Parts: sequence; C-alpha cells; structure tokens
Amino acid sequence: MSRPGRDEDPDRLYTVTRGRSRASSDAFDLVTLVVSESEPSPGMQSEHIRILRMCQYPTAVVEISAELKLPITVVRILLSDLLDSGLITARHPQTARAAAHLPDSNLLEQVLVGLRNL
Amino acid sequence: MTAHTRPERRRPKRPAKRQMLLALLITLAATGLAWTLAVYLAPESVRVPLAWGAGAGALALCVAVPWAAHGRAETRRLTEELAAHRRRLDEFADTEVTALVERLRGGASTATALGASRPENAAEERVLRALAEEVGRAEAGRAAALAAGAGAGARLQALTLSMLAELREMEHRHTDEDVLGDLLLIDHRTAQAGRLADSIAVLTGARSGRRWSKPIVMESIIRGAMGRIGGYQRVRSHSTVNVAVAGHAAEGVMHALAEILDNAANFSPPTAEVHVYVEEVPAGVVITVEDSGLVMSDVALRRAERAVSDEPLDLASLSGTRLGLAVVGVLARKYGLKVSFRPSARGGTGVLLMIPQELLSRPRAADEPLGFAAATTPVPAAQAPEPKPEPAPEPAPAPAPVEAPPAPEPVAADDRPLPTREHAPAESSTTDELPQFGESGLPKRRRGRTLAAAHRQERARAERDSGPAPTHSPAESAARFGAFRQALQGRDRAAGEPTAPSPREESHPEEHTP
Repeated sequence: MSRPGRDEDPDRLYTVTRGRSRASSDAFDLVTLVVSESEPSPGMQSEHIRILRMCQYPTAVVEISAELKLPITVVRILLSDLLDSGLITARHPQTARAAAHLPDSNLLEQVLVGLRNL
Repeated sequence: MTAHTRPERRRPKRPAKRQMLLALLITLAATGLAWTLAVYLAPESVRVPLAWGAGAGALALCVAVPWAAHGRAETRRLTEELAAHRRRLDEFADTEVTALVERLRGGASTATALGASRPENAAEERVLRALAEEVGRAEAGRAAALAAGAGAGARLQALTLSMLAELREMEHRHTDEDVLGDLLLIDHRTAQAGRLADSIAVLTGARSGRRWSKPIVMESIIRGAMGRIGGYQRVRSHSTVNVAVAGHAAEGVMHALAEILDNAANFSPPTAEVHVYVEEVPAGVVITVEDSGLVMSDVALRRAERAVSDEPLDLASLSGTRLGLAVVGVLARKYGLKVSFRPSARGGTGVLLMIPQELLSRPRAADEPLGFAAATTPVPAAQAPEPKPEPAPEPAPAPAPVEAPPAPEPVAADDRPLPTREHAPAESSTTDELPQFGESGLPKRRRGRTLAAAHRQERARAERDSGPAPTHSPAESAARFGAFRQALQGRDRAAGEPTAPSPREESHPEEHTP
C-alpha cells in the first residue's frame, strides 16, 4: 500500500505520540501480551480505543503494531500511556516463564544417565 | 463608428441658416414698409434726401439684423456642442475607460479589449490605446508572476508530500528510539514547510495540494492540522464528534484549521494552551479554536473579518508575514466554510470554523474508529452486508456454476444511494480486504475506491488461489480470465508495481501535482 510518494494517512506520527519518541516504561517488548482492563471511554485517542478493543483477549505488541499499522516504538508509547493510566495490563508470554522454570541441566543429565542404565 | 453622432452635431447649422434668411426677410419687409410709408408721408421738399437716407439705413439694418441672428444661433450651437463634449468626456472617463480596464482585468487581450471599446475621435482612441497597453502589460506581468508562483508552489508541495511519505516509511523501518525521535523532528519541520507551500499554492490560485481518496475522520483532521504548526504540543483537542470530512475537502479544511491554529498558537503566550472543541450543529460541524492570548483590536478584527468574508482575495492586501487569514479566506470561499471571530472566555480570541453538512459524512455504525456510537446520536442501522476485513466469507472459489453470460451486472448492493451519507471506516479502504464479486464473476468496485485498487486485490487473491486445483466451471473460468486480463491492464494503467515505478511516475511523484 505504501507506494513511494503516497501517503494515505493525514496523522503524522508525532501527533499520535504528542511529540514523544520514547516510551515511558520498558514493560513492553515485541511479544509482551497485552490485555485491556476496561472499556474505552469517549474522548480517548482513537488508537487507544482500538488497542483496548483489540486487547480484550491477550494480544502481542507486535500484533497490535501490525493491526494499527504503526511502528513498534510508537505502539509502545501508546501502550505505556494506557499502562500508566491502568487501562491495560502487560504479561510476558508463558514460555518465558516456563523457560525460567526448567529443571537445571545437572538433574537432566542424571536422569539421562539413569535411563541409559536401565 | 463616429458617423452616428455626426448629424446630431451638424443639426444646429441648418436652422441657423434658415433663421438668418427669416430674419433677412422680416427685416426687408419691415424696413421696406417703413421706408415706403416714410417716403410717402414726408413733405415733397425732403422726400428725396429722406428716401436716400432711410434707404441706406434700411439696407444697413437688413445686413445687421440677420448677422446678429446668425451670431446668436451660432453661439447657441457652440454652447450646445460644448455641453455635448463635456458630457461625452464624462462618459468617456466613467464608462469607456473603466469598461476597458475591466475587460483587460477579465483576461482579454489588448486588441480584443480595444476592439470592443468605441472611441469617438482620434484623441480618445490614443488615450484608450495607451491605457490598454499599459494595463495589459501590468496584467500580463501579474498573471505571469502568479503562474510562476503557483508552479513553484506546486512543485514544492509535491516535494514535501513525497518527503513526508518517505519519512513515514523511514519511521516504520527504524525501530531505534533515537532515530525515530530525529525522524519525527524532521517530519514535523517538513510538515510545516508543506503548509507554507500549500499556502503559496492557495494564494496563487493553484490547485490544492492533494486529494484524499477517503473521508477523513474529525480526529485525523484535527491532528493533521495540528501536525502542520510549530506549537502542536500546546493544542488540546476535545472532540467526541464522530463525523468525517469528504476526501476532496479534507485537505482544505485541514489547511484552514492549521492556519487558524497557527495564529492562535502564535498570538498566545508560549506556555498557554490552545483548545479545540468540535461540536455538531444542524448546519454541520463547528470547530472552535480558543486561545488565551491577545484579544484582537477592533481594527484587527475588522481586517480579519474582511479577509474571511465573501469578497474575493485582493492580492494587494497581502502582507509578507501574515498570510494565514488570507489563506483561510480563500479556502473558506472555495469549500463554503464559514469563519467567525469572537472574544474567548479564556481571555483571548475564539475562532469558529463551520463545516457545512454537505462536506460531512458519518462512519458506518458497525465499527467506527472512534467508537462513540453510544455517546453520540445512533446512526440508523444501514449495515447492509458489507465486506468486513477479517471474517470475510471468502467468496467461495467455486460457487454454483455461473451459466449466465457475463452481462454487466449493475453494482446493486454497493452503489445504492445512502440516505445518511456513510463511508467505510477509515482504515478499511487501505486494508487488504477481499473484493466483492458480482454475479458475473467480475470484481465489483466499492464506492470511493479506484478500480486499480480493486483489481490489485483481485490479482493478489487470484495468486493465492492459484495453488489448489481449480474447480471452476468453464463459464466461470472464462469470466475469471476476463477479469484477470482487465486486472493486468488495470495494473499497467495504475503503475501498481511498487518495485519499478515507470519514469513518468518518477518525474511526477504524485497525482497531487497539479
């Protein structure tokens, strides 16, 4: 859709972020899952409304970015706004936590040895 | 051309001659009678000298009286002629000259304008010719200067537009926050330069910068306007109105609003906020811009009101530094916007911009981007089966075999006249939604979309579908093939290949270029 020289959106990104280029929190990476905690209310920025609608089920940051057609950095700024006002919660995906809880390699090695000995 | 006035001026001559003759006859008769009587009544002794003397006197009288009569007639004639000349001079100054200047201003060439005027003599003709040449030269110079300004403005516009598009692309490409920050800064500067280019184009009467292919929702209008001014971070918008401005007018509205916002931001303290309120009224939508800066003086207010009134723009009234209101005036006249000023409750000036109803439309109630359906007036549920971006019941690759010849099916469901003008939500026109197919199997164009876009999607779909074994009936295949061919032609026309834009496209970066 983005043919060079073609721009189908009158919103400049700095108006979307109100001039910020840096998210206020580091809570979001590409795969952070976002869940909305409340309904959108009138008078909110349309991007915020769309994020809240979209995140009724856990949604990854990268998906939000793709859906809104906004760069990740901009989406992170928008998400930190919502996080600061308590309208969303962010969770790191389950796999990350699971990886942290894997039994250590020593134990696994012992199991392997035990299995071979059978 | 002078013949018709000549008899009028010669007319007094003939009565003058007649009068002279009449006077001569009367004098002759009277003196003859008097002479005869005198000679007859006189005593015999003085008769001869009396006859001679009286005869000489009568003769002198006969010469003098007609002469006097002639003189009097001549005087009257000359007086009349003088008055006529004076009248003609007035007429010449009031009518002929102004008409000539008007014709020249209206764009007529010197020769044409002179041909239409009717000088009565050589002197008048010389005056008119000199005038016509001088005014014509000035007009030509003005037109050339305007055209040059318009051309330069349009090129500048095209340049900033493509720069903005490239910047947006870069902003998407670079995830680094520092880089993004710098890009946003440049983006902001470019947008301001773009506004200036737009202003030049508007004042020089060039076509406005760009056309949006879809209605633009109010939030985007306000943000688009904010983005073009320096102090956009001081602008606070309070808008819960869920309307959109028609694509052809959106740019003008945004530009006018940007100029108003710029004025408000410039004429208020650098820390004060500028507030934008949007409100729906029966006649349309009113955007109020309020600042807490200086109250406009009476003189300034009158000047501002004149600038945005219905009078056409007088280029001579422009000053180098304050173009804003003149631009707003031109745009307001072009799109039927109404601008008024009033003192603001915040202490500064409030500017009201009324967008008339005919420029507005309402996003469809189904998934309006702002989502205030509950807060604002509910829109009549006219959500006829429209293609939705996501679930999109794939127009089954193999529907019931189409026997009917591909008669040009009138685009029924889509092009029905909508009672309340609605439009697809802003993003749906750009998402890669599935095209709708008519009964003929050809893709149907949605309102407000180019045929090329529809075809491009059709092509993409055709490529997706080409994998699995086709289960089309022969008739359907034929219809599809026709569509495919059309799509190819459409692609050529639209130069849809993003990788290799044709050179023509390169030199004219956008259709926005006038």
